[in-house]
Amino acid sequence: MSQRIEVHHVTRVEGHGDIIVEIADGKLKECRFEVVETPRFFEAMLRGRHYLEASHITSRICGICATGHATASLRATEAALGVELSEQTQLLRKLTFHGEILDSHILHVYMLVAPDFFGVGSVIPLATTHREVVLRALRMKKLSGDLCAAVTGRHTHPIAMTVGGFTHFPTHGELKALRQRLVECRQDVDATVELAASLPWPQFERDTEYISLTKPDEYAFIDGDFKSSDGGVYPKERYKEITNEYLVPTSTAKWTRHKRESYMVGALARFNNNYDQLHPRAKDAAAKLGMRPKVTNPFLNTGAQVVEIVHCVEDSIAIIDQLLERGVKPEKPTPVQLRDCEGVGVCEVPRGALIHHYWIGEDGKLTGANCIIPTNQNIANLEADMRQRVPQILDKPVEDIRLDMEMLVRAYDPCISCSVHVLKVEER
Amino acid sequence: MTTRQADERRVPQPVLVLGIGNTVMGDDGAGVRAIERLAELPLPPHVRLQAAPLPGWDLPNWLEGWDAVILVDAVKMNQPPGAWRRLTLEEIRLLLEDGALSLHQPGLAAGLALAQALDRLPKSLTLYGIEPAEIAPGSGLSPAVETSLPDLAAGIYRELIAAALESRRQTKQVAIESNKEG
Repeated sequence: MSQRIEVHHVTRVEGHGDIIVEIADGKLKECRFEVVETPRFFEAMLRGRHYLEASHITSRICGICATGHATASLRATEAALGVELSEQTQLLRKLTFHGEILDSHILHVYMLVAPDFFGVGSVIPLATTHREVVLRALRMKKLSGDLCAAVTGRHTHPIAMTVGGFTHFPTHGELKALRQRLVECRQDVDATVELAASLPWPQFERDTEYISLTKPDEYAFIDGDFKSSDGGVYPKERYKEITNEYLVPTSTAKWTRHKRESYMVGALARFNNNYDQLHPRAKDAAAKLGMRPKVTNPFLNTGAQVVEIVHCVEDSIAIIDQLLERGVKPEKPTPVQLRDCEGVGVCEVPRGALIHHYWIGEDGKLTGANCIIPTNQNIANLEADMRQRVPQILDKPVEDIRLDMEMLVRAYDPCISCSVHVLKVEER
Repeated sequence: MTTRQADERRVPQPVLVLGIGNTVMGDDGAGVRAIERLAELPLPPHVRLQAAPLPGWDLPNWLEGWDAVILVDAVKMNQPPGAWRRLTLEEIRLLLEDGALSLHQPGLAAGLALAQALDRLPKSLTLYGIEPAEIAPGSGLSPAVETSLPDLAAGIYRELIAAALESRRQTKQVAIESNKEG
């Protein structure tokens, strides 16, 4: 007897992806995760554009990781042009970056993942049955958005971030008010940890290679070297030795592999590689979730996101304290000296390592660009998980297998809409 | 009617105009482009323009605290490209119930449904929808949408001005009545 499970356009992920599982005579014959969204041509759109425009264009690759793309873009340009950032700029960049990590993680934990555990199709019925839970999520999201807006002047697209600095600065009063709200938010954060600790996470272990950025002095989100849980640290310029992109016929996105057949990026990889640098309160949260590195259950990527929510709230308070103490002064962005150059910018966006690599000509226009986004790096690993997972749950009804596969896909928090840029790359 | 109440009436109801879309995805950015056009016109002080590239589940937060909201977005309505329609709250509710309203992913429709479930829909909600020709990477609008945009913006503008005039008329009426009472 043969069974085929197909999920077209998996819901509660960003973008469009399909799951296909084929079972014949009680054995797994095939399983795939296909990315089907129309490719986006952002790399092609960057070519010929002025370097000052690049971060604004790339921040629109994704409505969720707008700050992440803008930051990676700016770091690539700044690396190319040899721009050094002031301490204030670095603090403000980190603060708005935390805002986006919080926003995205809260979205994923509450709006995309939680409905599976409450047995509902979306967050909308939860608004009636668990109103307080949904209101808490919205409250936390509002604070995250306001954090970004105070620093970058606008929600979602960080227009005030520019090469070498900012064009807008938060006031002392805004920072104080945000600090107060972040402190009050601890209650919601604790409730989030409690909620996550109470959920029956699927039991599934599969060790893989975990890759993230790492920094000597802090839990890395912006800049750093690549670190593999299998050993090895690589400077960002050598990213191609990590990603080894290749094409597969079933996907419009490029896949990656490093030491094994696949690797994982994202919150769980960061947690496993950089646990020691988490805020103590975040470590407490991890303990409540029963998480200590190395965690090899991919479903707990969501758990690692909860831990990072705690870390980012605490670190945001600490950053604001530093800013309040030193005072935020309007600064002119660092001036640049144009030349033929190239540079690599890296950061850890909510879904994992993001790489922008730019080539800039003497006229200040981009002559080439390469963007490697986290979801692409995870697809091979996700399929490897599916191949191991399906045989373990073959005795379950088809509907349960289907839901389990969907939950696994969602655990990776894939953002498929920005992962498909491959058709252009073939032309290169 | 007391004088205090009359004073309260003198402040017109604030209106939020929320333009939705991504301006590097062709006609997807029509809502934001419409907001940019409105920004060039002399607007009553109680009107706030806001661009929201992808509001999705955040929509209840965007709507919070506003009694009157006008949304502007690219909407697939099986109309010729560039055609635009004004949908009232009642029409939006019906479309939501039919599951017929499906736009950006995770979408304005989902955001509106969540707002409805949380009782956060404003008292007055209007959606100006414009039929897109093409939603694909590219920073420009299609010719059909570009051509219709001034008319769409003028439609929204007329509504804003009419509301402001109505509010002023009511204020005067109240003032006259309270004078009579006094």
